[in-house]
Amino acid sequence: MLGWEFPPFKSGGLGVHCYELTSAFARKGIEVDFYMPRTEFEIKGTTPKLIQVMPVHFGPYTAREAYGADFMSRVLQYNLKCAEEVEKNNREKKYDLIHNHDWLTVRAALLAKQKINKPHVFTVHSTEYDRSGLGPNPQILDIERMGVHSADRVITVSHMMKKQLVDRFGADCGRVRVVYNGVDPDKFMKKWEVRKYSKEKVVLFLGRMAEQKGPVQFLQAAQKVLSVVKNVRFVMAGGGDMLPYLINYSIQLGISDRVTFLGYLPESQLHEAYAKSDVYVLPSVSEPFGITALEAMASGTPIILSKTSGVSEITPHCLKVDFWDVNKMAEDIIALLRYRVLNHTMGIHEVEDAKKFSWDRAADETFNVYRELV
Amino acid sequence: MPSICFYFQVHQPLRMRRFSIFEDNNGDPYKLYFSEKLNREVFEKVARKCYLPTNSIMLDLINRLDGRFKISYSLTGVFLDQCCEFNPKVLESFEELAKTGCVDFLDETYHHSLCSLFQDKTEFKEQVALHAKALKTYFKCKPVVFRNTEALFTNEIAKLVEDMGYKGMVTEGFERILGWRSPDYLYRVKGCNSLKAFLRNYRMSDDVAYRFSARWWSEYPLTADKYATWLSRCEGPLVNIFMDYETFGEHQWEDTGIFEFLKRMPEEILRYDNLDFKTPSELVALEPVGEIDVPTPLSWADMERDASAWLGNEMQRVCFRMLEGLEPMVREAKDEQLMKIWRMLQNSDQLYYLCTKSWADGDVHKYFSPFDTPYDGFINFMNVLQDFRHRLKQKLKVEERR
Repeated sequence: MLGWEFPPFKSGGLGVHCYELTSAFARKGIEVDFYMPRTEFEIKGTTPKLIQVMPVHFGPYTAREAYGADFMSRVLQYNLKCAEEVEKNNREKKYDLIHNHDWLTVRAALLAKQKINKPHVFTVHSTEYDRSGLGPNPQILDIERMGVHSADRVITVSHMMKKQLVDRFGADCGRVRVVYNGVDPDKFMKKWEVRKYSKEKVVLFLGRMAEQKGPVQFLQAAQKVLSVVKNVRFVMAGGGDMLPYLINYSIQLGISDRVTFLGYLPESQLHEAYAKSDVYVLPSVSEPFGITALEAMASGTPIILSKTSGVSEITPHCLKVDFWDVNKMAEDIIALLRYRVLNHTMGIHEVEDAKKFSWDRAADETFNVYRELV
Repeated sequence: MPSICFYFQVHQPLRMRRFSIFEDNNGDPYKLYFSEKLNREVFEKVARKCYLPTNSIMLDLINRLDGRFKISYSLTGVFLDQCCEFNPKVLESFEELAKTGCVDFLDETYHHSLCSLFQDKTEFKEQVALHAKALKTYFKCKPVVFRNTEALFTNEIAKLVEDMGYKGMVTEGFERILGWRSPDYLYRVKGCNSLKAFLRNYRMSDDVAYRFSARWWSEYPLTADKYATWLSRCEGPLVNIFMDYETFGEHQWEDTGIFEFLKRMPEEILRYDNLDFKTPSELVALEPVGEIDVPTPLSWADMERDASAWLGNEMQRVCFRMLEGLEPMVREAKDEQLMKIWRMLQNSDQLYYLCTKSWADGDVHKYFSPFDTPYDGFINFMNVLQDFRHRLKQKLKVEERR
């Protein structure tokens, strides 16, 4: 498996997916070598076996800018090196299949496929269109298109994403499979098991501070909510380019005393953040899946999802809004804060529903895709 | 010799509008709470697909069979109101049917509400009286058989209905209350003196209402002569076939052949010497053969056949208690419009949309619901109820100042 992020080195859903998927495979006795960039720390003795490939000097996995101007060329170097390593290890390991995640490792997968002549599965977690809002990088789009067309099977994390691949890249429907992300419900504290120290109600946003995640709409809805209900705190967790702008914007809206910016949250605090919130909002303009919503569900925290999110396909136990419909978003937040019975009923059903989306199921479904080829 | 007792429930819910707390919510609450546009659209559609064509078939059958084909209806007040507002032709066609003398009408709560479950029974009595008055006005009839909203039934409600002068009451023939006994007889009710219960034969009813077009069904396709044969084999004195009238043309679309089935069925039934058609008013003279005891709510809805379709989850119960709790204020306000709105809000469909059952019944709820999820339904209903309570309070404040 060719990847980029792997916990603890991750910035989002991609890393979580790779970790949980390979762990589930390990439990099922499916052997995986996971190729990833070398980090400052060497990780040893893990399952799956991590193969750390040299050339990318590891920066923080946050903003693209952090990698510097020669980002693209470093990615290319990593890909070339990765493919070489795969070929080398294959002599001994005899791989059955190559599976890569996102555009970052598409070229490595294609090269490796040429070299060892094994089928290739390409999982698309997001496309350049989702990540970059207005100005997609044409080079990256080309790589994505190439991957979608050359892979033997393409896996997407939602039907929404599948449709996008078909519409935008002209992908062949018959080769695209949907495997939803998962969640491990036992890992998450339940809302009703956590003691809150303040009477203040909490509304949570958790994600990168970037246009396509909808933080602006979140703040606009916050202002509307505060015009009706006073004792509410809006918590925004996550780093990203837009953070300074958003802080300013909250001041402009006159609600800065009601908004708390937490920055990037480590996993330990993440669980608490979900459980201590009264409402979780995923206002994304474009969200191929949205694992955070599943995590909030597993915590029993009611979720409000933008209709343009993959996760909104899979659960009826949520409130759905158009990302631009700030009024409806605010009304739903107010209702969840005011009507305890609604909040609780949704929470209970969400916890039940989240159990259906285990990583074991995701691994089984992924394995079924492999079986179509091997 | 079984008499076939056809009874059709005719009702269209009053669907709500999406109520926004960020809009200017002064003004006519009827326009603010209910979606006239949606209600009109649905009503027109169902009138075209079901009410008008089915009524014309019924009228034709009654005339052709020379009084040997008889049926009965109950039309909710909510339905009658919508007839007047959206399409008076539908009402006229029912009036035509009433004039034939072969059509019986049943009474029920005017607003298709669950007020029979309120602690205070005043509202229930008033709504039934309203309905009786409406039937008298439109159809010049005085029903002797009662059917509560969604066939909701308990010993207590039955007693209340008996005390109001009705001789019979309709409900579900479910095993929970019948045990080994057949629904094809009349029964006494525990705690009542003489009220007789008509129990729906749900198998024979659902063969038409639900399974008619079900390709998975081993008896598919259901033909009129096959159905008549089944009926002729029933052993009791009556078979109660109760269903939503919208079965014809709406739940079962025209292309399923439901209208052809309906046109042929009476004749096929009358071929059998041992079968005829009678109305509840005629059949109520039969002797009951036993007693039923219904301490907890029984209805014809969902697999549970209890009140859980409307009061099964906490959200539904909170809304219901709030509705009930508004009664003293509504009465004190002495405002006809607010009273009418409160009653419209009691329409049981509003609670039906909040149901969170996840199996097959959940799909039925979803089919009927104008909301994406029960949660959206709850938010809308609760926001409306809050707004309504606010109006009541304002009104009472003004009264006080005077």
